[in-house]
Amino acid sequence: MASFLSGISIVCFAASYAVALACEASRLVFRSGVRGAAMVTFAAAGLVAHTLFLGWRAVVSGTAPLSSPFDWYLLAAWLLAAGYLWLTVANPRTPVGLFLLPIVLALIGAATLAGREPFLHDAASRFWGRIHGGFHLVWSVSVVLGAIAGLMWLIQAGRLARKRAPSQGFRMPSLERLANVTARTPAIAAWAAAAGFVSGIVLNAVNRRRGLMETVPWTDPVVLRMAAVVAWLVVADWITTAVRRRPDAGRTTAWLALVSLAVLAGSIAWGVLGATQHGKPHGAAAPGAIVEAAP
Amino acid sequence: MMLALVGGTHRTVPLALRERLAFTAEQAADALARFRNRFPGREGVLLSTCNRVEFYAAGEAGSAAPPRDELVSFLAECRGLDASMLAPVLSCEHDEAVARHLFGVAAGLDSMVLGEPQILAQVKQAWALAQDSHTSGPLTAGMFQAALRTAKRVAAETALGRERVSIPSVAVADFASGVFERFDDKRVLLVGAGKMAAETLRYLRAAGARDVVIVNRTAARASDLAGRLAARAADFADLERELAAADLVVSTTGASDHVVPLDLFARVEPHREGRPLVVLDLAVPRDFDPRIGGRSGVWLYCVDDLAAACEANRRSRQREMPQALAIVEEETRRFMGDMHHRTTAPVIEQLRAGWSETGSAELDRLFRRLPHLASSDREEIRQAFDRYAAKLLHPPLVSLRSESHAGPPHGLLDALKRLFNLKD
Repeated sequence: MASFLSGISIVCFAASYAVALACEASRLVFRSGVRGAAMVTFAAAGLVAHTLFLGWRAVVSGTAPLSSPFDWYLLAAWLLAAGYLWLTVANPRTPVGLFLLPIVLALIGAATLAGREPFLHDAASRFWGRIHGGFHLVWSVSVVLGAIAGLMWLIQAGRLARKRAPSQGFRMPSLERLANVTARTPAIAAWAAAAGFVSGIVLNAVNRRRGLMETVPWTDPVVLRMAAVVAWLVVADWITTAVRRRPDAGRTTAWLALVSLAVLAGSIAWGVLGATQHGKPHGAAAPGAIVEAAP
Repeated sequence: MMLALVGGTHRTVPLALRERLAFTAEQAADALARFRNRFPGREGVLLSTCNRVEFYAAGEAGSAAPPRDELVSFLAECRGLDASMLAPVLSCEHDEAVARHLFGVAAGLDSMVLGEPQILAQVKQAWALAQDSHTSGPLTAGMFQAALRTAKRVAAETALGRERVSIPSVAVADFASGVFERFDDKRVLLVGAGKMAAETLRYLRAAGARDVVIVNRTAARASDLAGRLAARAADFADLERELAAADLVVSTTGASDHVVPLDLFARVEPHREGRPLVVLDLAVPRDFDPRIGGRSGVWLYCVDDLAAACEANRRSRQREMPQALAIVEEETRRFMGDMHHRTTAPVIEQLRAGWSETGSAELDRLFRRLPHLASSDREEIRQAFDRYAAKLLHPPLVSLRSESHAGPPHGLLDALKRLFNLKD
C-alpha cells in the first residue's frame, strides 16, 4: 500500500485533468455519447490521485497540506478540481471545464515551481499560520470562481447581443445565474483577503517575538503586494455593491471579476519568482516545527 | 417476402386525399381486426398520423406478407375509398426497405419538421394498438423494437431533435432562458392578444412562468384572453407602469407604428431599478423601437431575429442527417441479420435434436455396460457429453449467424441438410 501511495506523482493527476480538459475541448468539434462519462471518469480519477498524493504527503511529512507553498497550490488546485467535478455532474451540458481546468493545471504548474520546504515553526504559532493560509485559499478560490462566471457572462451576453442561438457544444448558464456568482464572490474574496492579511501580520509578530523565523519587513514585496490585493478587492466589492441596481451591473461586475483574476495571477507570479523574506526560517529556528502558510 | 409496407405521406399524398385516408384510433382498431380475419397468420401494424398513413405487414414461410394490390385494396375498403384512387399515390416497399423506412420514420427523419419527437410516440401507439388487436407477432415486434432503439440512438448520438425550429420555442428556450434562470419569479407582460402571444406563453408556462399580465387596446379582448390563459388583464393606459414592473415582454399587436417608442421607454427605464428586460417583439410592423435594444440591460428580439435563429437550427439539424442515416443503416443491417437468422432456426433445432438423441442412446448403452457407476458420476458424464455436443455445434452456428448478415444463408443451410441428412 505504501509503495502504491508513494508511487503517485503530480503527473498522474495532472495528466487525468489534462485528458478531462481535452474531452471538454472536443465538445466544440464533435458530438459523442460517451464523452460525459469519460470526462467525469478522468476528472474523478485525477481527484482521487490528487487526494491520495496530498494525504500521503501529510502522512510522510507529518504536516498539514498548507505547510509549504507547494502544498498550498496543490490544495487550491484540488478545491477547484472538486468544484469542477461537482459542477459537471450537476450541469453536464455546461462546458465549465474549459474555464476551470486550465486554472487547475496552471496551479499545479505553479506548485512545481514553488518551494516544497515547509515553513519551520513551533506549535504555538501553527494556529495563526493555518488561519493565514486558509484565508488566502478562500479568497483565491473565490476570485477564480468569480472570474470564470464573469467570463461566461460576457460570452453569453455576446451571444445574446448577436442574436444567435446557442451552439450545442457550448451552452452557457443564464446571465441571471452567472451574475449571482459574480456579484457574491467579491465580498467573500475581499473579507477573506483582509482576514488573511491581518492574520499574516499577527503571525509575523508571533514569529518575531519567538525568534523562529526571519521577520518580514513592512516593505517586503509580499506585504506590499498583499496590501495592494486587499485594497483592490475591497474597491471591487464596493463598486459591485454600488452598481447593483444599474442596468449594466452584470457587465461591470464581470469585468471586475476578470481584473481580480489578473491581480491574483500577478500576485502568484510575483510570489513564485520574486525575492522575499516571507516564510524564510531563521538560523536559530527550532528544527521540525512546521506551520501552515500561504505562498 | 417477409415484410411489406404500403402507405403515403405528406410528400406523396395530397392533403384532401390524406384527410380521407387518415384513421382515428377506433377506425385503426377496426381495420386491424379486419386484417386479422382477412389475412390469418399474418402480422400487421397501422401507423396513421396527420402526415402519413402506413400499413406494415409481415409473414413467414407459408404465409408471406400480402402483396401490394391486396394491401391497397384493404386500406381502400377500410376507409370506403376507391382503390384506383389510392394505387397511384401509395408507395410500396419490401423486406429490408421496410425496416429502413420505419427506422427513419421513428427517428423523425421522414417528418415534415426534421427530427420532431412526436412521431416516436405515435409509432409506439401504433405498435401498442397492434398488440392489443392481436395483429402483432414476432416479426413486427422485432422490427418495432428495433425502430424504437434506432430512434433512441439517433436522439442520443446526434443533435437532430435538440435545436428548436419554431419561433415561440426558440424565443423562450434559446433567448429568454439565456437571460433568466427561472421564470416563476418573473413578471410576463403580453402586449396585444395575438395568436403568437398565446403560443409563446404556452412555452413560458412550461418553463415555470406564473405571473402574467395582458394589456390590449381593446380591453374586452385582453379580459377574454386573460380568462383563457389564467392571466390578469390590465388597462392599456397602464402600459408604462406594467413595463416598469415586467421582466419579459411578448408583444404582438397589429399597430401600424411603434407601441413602445424610445421616449416612452426612457421614461420607464429609471423605474426598473436596473433589472434586465427581455422583449420578444413578434409583431410586424414592430411594436418596440429597435433602438431600445441598444439600451443597457435590454435584450430585444424581433421576428426576423428569431426566424434567423430558427433557420440556423434547421440547417444544424440537416447537418446531423448523415450521422442519423448511418445509425439507421447500421440498425437495419443488424435487424435484417436477425431476421435472416430466424430462417435457420428449424435446421438448427433438427441438428440439435438429432445430436441429442444420438448422444442419449450412446450414454444409455454405456451406463448399461457400467452398472456400478454412481448417479453423480453418470450425471458428470452426461454433462460432458452435452458440453462436447455444444462445442461441436458452435462453429457451424457461428458461421450461420455471420452468413445471415449478408442475407438468408441458403447455401449453408442446404449443405447442413445434406451433410447431416436433415429433412425439411
